[in-house]
Amino acid sequence: MGEVIVITSGKGGVGKTTTTANIGIGLSGLGKKVLVIDTDLGLRNLDVVMGLENRIVYNIVDVIEGSCRLKQALIKDKRFPELYLLPSAQTKDKTSISPEQMKKLIEDIRDDFDYILLDCPAGIEQGFQNAIAGADRSIVVTTPEVSAIRDADRILGLLEASGIRKNELLINRLRIDMVKRGDMMSVDDVTEILAVDLLGVIPDDEQVVIATNQGEPVVGEDSLAGKSYMNICRRLLGEDIPMEDYMKPEGFLGKLSSLFHRN
Amino acid sequence: MSVPSVFVAKERLKNLLISDRMQCTPDAADRLEKDLYLTVSKYMEITPEHFDIKISRSDIHIRYTGENK
Repeated sequence: MGEVIVITSGKGGVGKTTTTANIGIGLSGLGKKVLVIDTDLGLRNLDVVMGLENRIVYNIVDVIEGSCRLKQALIKDKRFPELYLLPSAQTKDKTSISPEQMKKLIEDIRDDFDYILLDCPAGIEQGFQNAIAGADRSIVVTTPEVSAIRDADRILGLLEASGIRKNELLINRLRIDMVKRGDMMSVDDVTEILAVDLLGVIPDDEQVVIATNQGEPVVGEDSLAGKSYMNICRRLLGEDIPMEDYMKPEGFLGKLSSLFHRN
Repeated sequence: MSVPSVFVAKERLKNLLISDRMQCTPDAADRLEKDLYLTVSKYMEITPEHFDIKISRSDIHIRYTGENK
């Protein structure tokens, strides 16, 4: 039976969709059969981030309304082994699906996959309730900013109240230079304030923007964010991967190499 | 030198989360802490330095440390 993970945040624009895409692709690359579901009705985006926007025929509302079979709506990402997308509906709104319908859909399909990832919309209204309805655990995405952390705390409270016990934090867009000069909260600051387990940290990396422009993933690439996303995938599989130490001072070799690269 | 902005952020966030979690104003959170201190002090010998209240998402932790002199 597959594990169902909701990726949520409260605040918009912190990287839920990018995270869903990269974790889905990463897990698929590690040999798992993965389904990613876009639950943001009316604001479909996961397909675009994954570069699959031209292949949509049916969507999640069609499946729930019985207008098509699930197999007809699933888009197989041919670039990766065993990765499927169930797209959202662009012309429906969040009331087209109820939490009960969502729960039933997931119960019906969870045996067919190792992992089901649910990309949750921003906010705490019905779209959020739909997305968490069938989830076993969550990944709460935040950035090291006051507003995003405040919303993450609210979301963690709602997840705990709804009976989801395993909730882990992903800190996105950490600016290492700013943390070092005391102008951005550190990983320790954020985890201490939110009192929650840390799943991983993604440093701010322009490669994410470049990859998203092209509908390509960063996970598995030789960039800071790419390596961090892969480590997160391995942690989800239960591997004991230590947290990256982005704060360590540059070593002698690093200094030496920057000296040579200066000119 | 001005205070690094991260200190300001953490202080604001701590107050914000307490009032969010209790659904009240920061002022009410302060009063709750004082009332809890007074209530506990009726039954135990405590000092403000050894008394600490932490409000999490689901619990209020009251902590007192050290032997009273």
